[in-house]
Amino acid sequence: MYRIAFDIGGTFTDFVLAASDAPPRFLKLPTTPDDPARAVEAGLARLLAEAGVAGQDLDAALHATTIATNAIIERKGAPTALITTAGFRDVLIIGRQKRYETYDLYMEKPPPLTPRRAIFEVVERMDHNGAVLEPLDSASVDAAVAAVLAGGYTSVAVALLHGYANIAHEAAIRDALAKAAPDLPVTLAAALSPKFREYERTSTAVANAYVRPIVDQYVRRLEGVLAATGFTKSMFIMQSAGGLISPEIARAEPVRIVESGPAAGVLMAAMIGTEAGADHVITFDMGGTTAKLGAVDGGAPAVTPTFEIDPIRYRPGSGLPINVPAVELLEIGAGGGSIARTDLGVIHVGPESAGADPGPICYGGGGTRATVTDANLALGYLNPEFFNAGAMRLDVEAARAGIKRDIADPLGLSVEAAAWGIHTVANGNMERAMRIVSVERGRDPRRYAIVAFGGAGPAHAARIAQSIGAGSVIVPFGAGVGSAIGLLQAAPKIEVSVTAVMDLAAPEAAAGIAKVYRDLEARADADLARLGADGAPVWNRYGYLRYRGQGYEIKAALPDGPIDAGFPAAVEAAFHAAYAQAYGYHDDAAAIEAVDWHLVATLPHPAGTIDLGWRAPQGSAPAGERPTWQPETGAFAPTAIYDRRTLGVDADIVGPAIVEDPEATIVVPAGMRARLTAHGHLVIQTGKGTPP
Amino acid sequence: MNTPAVDPITLTVVWNGLLAIAEEMGSTLRRTAFSEAVREGEDFSTGVFDKQARLIAQGNFTPGHLGSMPYVVRTVLDYFPADTLQPGDAILLNDSFLGSGHFPDCFLVSPAYVADALIGFVVTTAHHIDVGGAAPGSQRVHGVTEAFQEGLRILPVKLIRGGTFDGDLMRMILGNVRVPEKVEGDLRAQANANRAGARRLEQFYENQGAAVAEAAYDEILDRSEARMRSLIGDIPDGVYSFDDALDDYGPGTPPIVVAVDVTVDGEEIEVDFSRSSDQVPAALNAYINYTRAYTVFAVKVFCDALLPQNSGGMRPIKTKAREGCFFNPTFPAPSGGRAAVQIRIFDAINGALAQALPHRAMGAFSHWGNPNIGGIDPKTGKSFVMYDLAFGGYGGRSDKDGAEALAPVMNCRNIPVEVHETNNPVRIRRLELMADTGGAGTYRGGAGLRKDIELLADAAVMTGLGDRHLRQPFGVFGGSPGAAARTILNPGPNARELGSKEVVDLRKSDIVSFRLAGAGGYGDPGKRTASRIEADLADGYVTPAGARRDYGYKGEA
Repeated sequence: MYRIAFDIGGTFTDFVLAASDAPPRFLKLPTTPDDPARAVEAGLARLLAEAGVAGQDLDAALHATTIATNAIIERKGAPTALITTAGFRDVLIIGRQKRYETYDLYMEKPPPLTPRRAIFEVVERMDHNGAVLEPLDSASVDAAVAAVLAGGYTSVAVALLHGYANIAHEAAIRDALAKAAPDLPVTLAAALSPKFREYERTSTAVANAYVRPIVDQYVRRLEGVLAATGFTKSMFIMQSAGGLISPEIARAEPVRIVESGPAAGVLMAAMIGTEAGADHVITFDMGGTTAKLGAVDGGAPAVTPTFEIDPIRYRPGSGLPINVPAVELLEIGAGGGSIARTDLGVIHVGPESAGADPGPICYGGGGTRATVTDANLALGYLNPEFFNAGAMRLDVEAARAGIKRDIADPLGLSVEAAAWGIHTVANGNMERAMRIVSVERGRDPRRYAIVAFGGAGPAHAARIAQSIGAGSVIVPFGAGVGSAIGLLQAAPKIEVSVTAVMDLAAPEAAAGIAKVYRDLEARADADLARLGADGAPVWNRYGYLRYRGQGYEIKAALPDGPIDAGFPAAVEAAFHAAYAQAYGYHDDAAAIEAVDWHLVATLPHPAGTIDLGWRAPQGSAPAGERPTWQPETGAFAPTAIYDRRTLGVDADIVGPAIVEDPEATIVVPAGMRARLTAHGHLVIQTGKGTPP
Repeated sequence: MNTPAVDPITLTVVWNGLLAIAEEMGSTLRRTAFSEAVREGEDFSTGVFDKQARLIAQGNFTPGHLGSMPYVVRTVLDYFPADTLQPGDAILLNDSFLGSGHFPDCFLVSPAYVADALIGFVVTTAHHIDVGGAAPGSQRVHGVTEAFQEGLRILPVKLIRGGTFDGDLMRMILGNVRVPEKVEGDLRAQANANRAGARRLEQFYENQGAAVAEAAYDEILDRSEARMRSLIGDIPDGVYSFDDALDDYGPGTPPIVVAVDVTVDGEEIEVDFSRSSDQVPAALNAYINYTRAYTVFAVKVFCDALLPQNSGGMRPIKTKAREGCFFNPTFPAPSGGRAAVQIRIFDAINGALAQALPHRAMGAFSHWGNPNIGGIDPKTGKSFVMYDLAFGGYGGRSDKDGAEALAPVMNCRNIPVEVHETNNPVRIRRLELMADTGGAGTYRGGAGLRKDIELLADAAVMTGLGDRHLRQPFGVFGGSPGAAARTILNPGPNARELGSKEVVDLRKSDIVSFRLAGAGGYGDPGKRTASRIEADLADGYVTPAGARRDYGYKGEA
């Protein structure tokens, strides 16, 4: 049995061909941005030929992509119209109105995906229970349809006030549009995201409509590429929440695949954690420009019901809200290319980044400002001769000169102290992010392992883990194609949810919940039919609840089984437990209100871990020694350097030590130890927390 | 440079760590709060103080509490000397003179300890949506002549003792407010945030060690002060004056003069409101803490928007107003509706500093609307208070149009229509930007916002809290003023124009239409490019008639 997974990222397209009876084959090709399917075509041909496998022998093709994200970030989506309730044309323009920088009155709001001229009104009104206060006026619908057609829009979103409570008017508008223009894609906010708060729901629907034509065309092209190899089964696409969906669903609801790649990355981290004996994992992916953090709780990726896309300077509240479930991901402007500067006599690092081009000074590609990578080189952590497995030579003297000029001289520090300052300030920024992901969200860092990947992550992870109190850092084997591996772990999955505000103590609560779940199951069944996957689904219910009067809900897993008179009490108990976990206390006497209801149907998939092909070499002797900076003593000290490719399971690495991997350099600080697992993952024990 | 007492790396770590604590407190407060004002509007602030009661770090929240936050711990220590405090205590106060200028803003101050030694304080301030008094929301302006009509006044009291709420005090407080569940919920949310903040501060202090932490605090304050001084030093010396006026303080009352003289002298700046009107017998007066808050805000906006907030940066900024004037009233001057004034403090300073720093100036804001509607909810039989925040556009700026529909001076989120309608017996009939309202200019002012609210309950009281009905938001450097605001009861044949601060008894099905002013323009409208005018026409911000009138535009509409 063969399965192929491919992940199209911004720079590289990664492939994994997994077989049931042989180690997987990996391939990495440059992404072809003008037509991403071209790299897929080339990669498939190569991998299949190498393995001697024909397209018709493939049992599954699994895919993650950034195409939807990029279309939004680059504002390259389709000309999109929005139809909304009369009197509320400006919901999208107004937004939530808070400045993401309090003192900057010259700031710009993020530009909406549809300009005001593309927003048309229809006369109608619902209330929050879905009762029709004013019927849909057909003349206004005709006028809106005519305006959409006259404007040449190629995609339409419909988002009416309180549409989440009653979809009838939105559906009628869809029918009117279909009559006038049968091929025009129409996104209904009430179908896509039936949740209250009009701005967030409208934003979600517009984002979906905006990327729909592009994703539609792209997915069709990919299916063609696969079919040309002789492939006859269905392709699956990773959705933001970490489950697989069919091309049909992805084409209709492309906003579900916005965080496709990162979701695959978190699944990969979950698998690595499981292999290393850690069920609770914080994922830490530090690349050239940003660090992305996620979480895995009890083996399952943490999912958030809503997220923001395209934030400005990574400030919360500056992006476009998207109301579909996605893996919990916090992205901050801290990467190897993050630029260091001084202000007020202290060091600042990022969010400005030299990226890959021009890159850090030491790349010699024209970068002139000191970065985190330059600091790591000056501290001896990076090997100038072994960057990218020796593909690139790093210029230590240029890096030192830049650090001296930008940081050391202005602050009266030595170059080494300044370089350490850059390293530690970057760590501080990431520690803050890790604290948000852990402590602020009810996760006790002592129970979590950090899975560190990305080009820069393993050089920083150990000290960050130590400072938040996490016991271990796992640096995976094969992390370079991490997201593609994650795809192989994913299950076909349908998630549906709805807002139905309910007092759990009310006598009608049990009947109300039962009806909510009947409706959700009907919706999920319809999606399952479009999913084209075999097997009986496993159902999971979740509620988003709060104490009555609060405005933010927390997620609680709800019991399965029949929804009878005792069910509301079970929901309450689940909420109390979840609240206590998040905030350290709960209030038995307070009334509880349910807001959103969520249902997940997961189909069976080839579970378990995947042999990534690591085979233990013999012997684990240090490859050499070089001086590295030891902040504890404020001096360079001779440090053992290991080549990861030569490390076996008997390796016992005592910090300070450096482990060089072709993809990333791993720093094991003084006072810590590292060993290899049976699967080749490197585990650093920080001496804190409860090791897995 | 001088040899610092703390090395730059440690200083960076300490500074960032303190800011993180202040931000974390804010996220706990928001997520566990009960009222729309706090949880949706984010009308709150957080601060971290050292043991000398100096404000070391403040979260990036609404600046309304800047003026009082730096002094509040000292105030508390006057009532509760350090030896009367213990771990887990929290002191509550809301006095308008000691606090941030009106009773709804409740401060909760908690000490932090390491090994029984006091090491600092954490503070939260939140706008509670009702603290009793003459009208729902406790912000009624007209007809309120002394603070004692404005609800519960709390001089510092120990609300929490060793982690336990004082049940007697809570009963007293909750017995005097219209929405006790929300007030209690928000007070508990403040306690949550303080508990989390104190715990983090204690860990942080222990990790850094006392000597390093204390030295770092001095450095943080001194460097912030030095930066602010050098930025002020860059402003040309001089005295810059600007005069404007608030509409009135209720139907049939005279305008309130807002007059400011800004003196820039070397590295210090003095902002003096003494030429303004006397304090008024209506709940609009801006206590000096409030005047100072928005003065500091304005100076910071003009100097360095991203300078971290602490008391050091405030040292070179002097806020003055003669005692008894509108901007420094004496107790018991009423002040519940003073939030209507904040934009005007900024506008006036902006008008003055525009003369010195034209590239940082902007046209006057569309004012804002902060109506409160309260009565009995027929669904529950209990009191409700609908607290609302309506924000229009920014004035035109030196290189771009004013932002549309963005929180002006204070920094809050709006409350979604669907949230209001789910929680309160109201229906929002309309929420939209109004064409031809933004002041014309090379760079146009943002549009006015219209929000129509219908009452579904049998009866309610509406407290209006707006301005710019009579005096339009000014333009700068030749930009035109924005359109004046209006508030209309029942638009249509029986319409009644309301004053900006009128209190009205509403009956079922009454509609109040709030139409905020447009913001002022920047620069000569004749220099606006045709492409900008055409884009405005296409997007409906400007009508063809408006384009002809305001810009002499003759192209195809």
